[in-house]
Amino acid sequence: MSLAERLLIGRLRQRDEQAFNEVVRLHGDKVFNLVLRMVGTRAEAEDIAQEVFVTVFKSIDSFRGESKFTTWLLRIAANHSKNRIKYLARRSTDGNGLDGASEAHLADNHFAPGKPPLHGHIDAPDALLEAAEMESLMQEAIATLDEEHRLLVVLRDVEELSYDEIAEITGLPEGTVKSRLHRARVALKEHLEDKLR
Amino acid sequence: MTGGDLHARMAERFSAYLEGDLPAEEKAALEGHLATCIQCRTNLEQLRRTISSLAKLKEKAPETFLPDIQGQINTRSRGRFFAKRWMLFGRIPFEWVSLAMIVAMLVYYLVSLQTSPTTVSPR
Repeated sequence: MSLAERLLIGRLRQRDEQAFNEVVRLHGDKVFNLVLRMVGTRAEAEDIAQEVFVTVFKSIDSFRGESKFTTWLLRIAANHSKNRIKYLARRSTDGNGLDGASEAHLADNHFAPGKPPLHGHIDAPDALLEAAEMESLMQEAIATLDEEHRLLVVLRDVEELSYDEIAEITGLPEGTVKSRLHRARVALKEHLEDKLR
Repeated sequence: MTGGDLHARMAERFSAYLEGDLPAEEKAALEGHLATCIQCRTNLEQLRRTISSLAKLKEKAPETFLPDIQGQINTRSRGRFFAKRWMLFGRIPFEWVSLAMIVAMLVYYLVSLQTSPTTVSPR
């Protein structure tokens, strides 16, 4: 952990509001993107990502500095996301078909083809549409994975973390991470092949 | 070993190969196989494209992200943290307000002592 990070954590422990704002500014996008790719809808992602930072503010005293702060933060984000996925799955199986929340979910689905892509910097309309469709397909493919495989793909291929960091976040040995990640990638590839055939 | 087994065994190494994580001997064996097998070459290329598409899935947090979190913490801490700023001077701590009231009461008491008659004048 760098000196700057250590100082920032120290201020955060004293519940320094400016330090907290700095943490959100530094890590907000990463946490939001991870959660968004895990749960697939923007409304849920906003809610969970906010909850992650509220947890950080409340539980910073439990961070012992044995791992990097980012790793600790992303572990919280991963756990919140997995819990929400389980909760949503339970809720959708408890009810019959679409409940209000699921309908809202679909209405909020920013990955539906034809909607603009979530990432910017694409100007030409055809490229925009192509990017939107690809993003929609990728998100749909990610959603077919169980939450453990989904997390590995998101951490490695979306967030581009190292295997050391992923092993720390998930608590899995590096070899297991690699073999499961490979299976997840192959599943995604096959899903995309089916859809594009 | 059947042809299918060979393809499957080679495909198991694709991720490690793409990440440059394959030992030299296994890498040479895979590349030798790829040179003659269009099916495996196609599969490898599709896997590479899948991984590179995943890397493009980047999205920033919404503009209101920080204020929304501050609002949540403020509500849950019953106003202890992230209270609204007052004018240009920031949030006024409760202790300052108390101190100001005590000083005001003291001043009022002293002033009233000086202005009130202390002696009774004879008629």
